[in-house]
Amino acid sequence: MSLERWERLLGEVIVIPGVRGAALVAVDDGLVVAEAALDQLDGADVAALVAALVSRAARVARSIPTEPPRLIHLAGEGGTLLAIEASAPLWLVAVAEPGAEVGRLRVLLGDLAGAVG
Amino acid sequence: MSDSSHASLTPAGAPSFLDLGERLRQHGQLDAAATVTMNGLRQWPTLAAGHDLRGRIEADRGDDHAAAEAWGAALACEPGHLGALKGLAFLAFRGHDFAAAERHLEVAVARAPHDATLLGALDRVRSRRPAAPADEPIRLDDPTSGLLLGDADGMRLSGGVGPEASAEAADAAAAETAGLLREATRSARLLGLGGVKHLVVECADARLAVLPVAPGAALLAVRSGSTPVGRLLATAQRAAGVATQWLAGLQ
Repeated sequence: MSLERWERLLGEVIVIPGVRGAALVAVDDGLVVAEAALDQLDGADVAALVAALVSRAARVARSIPTEPPRLIHLAGEGGTLLAIEASAPLWLVAVAEPGAEVGRLRVLLGDLAGAVG
Repeated sequence: MSDSSHASLTPAGAPSFLDLGERLRQHGQLDAAATVTMNGLRQWPTLAAGHDLRGRIEADRGDDHAAAEAWGAALACEPGHLGALKGLAFLAFRGHDFAAAERHLEVAVARAPHDATLLGALDRVRSRRPAAPADEPIRLDDPTSGLLLGDADGMRLSGGVGPEASAEAADAAAAETAGLLREATRSARLLGLGGVKHLVVECADARLAVLPVAPGAALLAVRSGSTPVGRLLATAQRAAGVATQWLAGLQ
């Protein structure tokens, strides 16, 4: 899939009200593959933090044990981060403000994850 | 309130007004009992057992508002005070607020998991409640409950990760959950998301929720992959509330 196609997919995410930005990141090396509207966020930071979160969540899953994580939803007092596995090692990530339609965002990211390949 | 088991709760070495007030209460001399208790509380205003006794007297008088206030004061003096929790559960039960009664008893059972009278009371309350599948019981002390409480260092305090998981798995999960919460806290700070409210991790066969519980502790809820996320969070938030009170009682 082309970079242009990935950026078009991310463009569908950032039109949801309250979404601050979206990115496609490779969690094995913590690098950004594509990003959209991450104006006030450093894409490299987002990728590195998501990679670390996925790694930590995978360790919790192994300890229980369960299957590996495929979605992570971090809800903070000042916003939300949603990350969903697309095509390993790629994860789709969105960062949203408080009050964003998180349920709609989850559904959209799930749909788009299947289109990344 | 006629529960004579409260008499045995008078702590050894406690001020004598507790014993006298309780005896008067049990003989139905409620005004005299109240006078003795109030005089005692003037001398020992932070004695939880004194406020607990005042709660029982007020409940016997039928003044639920005053009783609730007294038991609230007991909990302020001693978080997790069993007598106060029982009393508040009794008031809620008498007012047909079975959900509130259950919450108070759940906290009490978390503090005293082998207290037969508490377990019996919890069973009675639950039998009176309408079935509410989303409002499942919180059993922090039960390793099979899929509710795990760990401290900031990743040491397991209570609970476990499910009926088929060993204690070793629960210990490992507590250690890894502390690390995950630390990472989530760092990510939230660096991304401007503020303090962590919760973290949900979805796997093919399970859904996990991690909630911070003061001070620095973490609650992990483990449910099947088919559990709705909203229900998972509702359960986890109730458990975090119980855990917060349980931890306060330890301090």
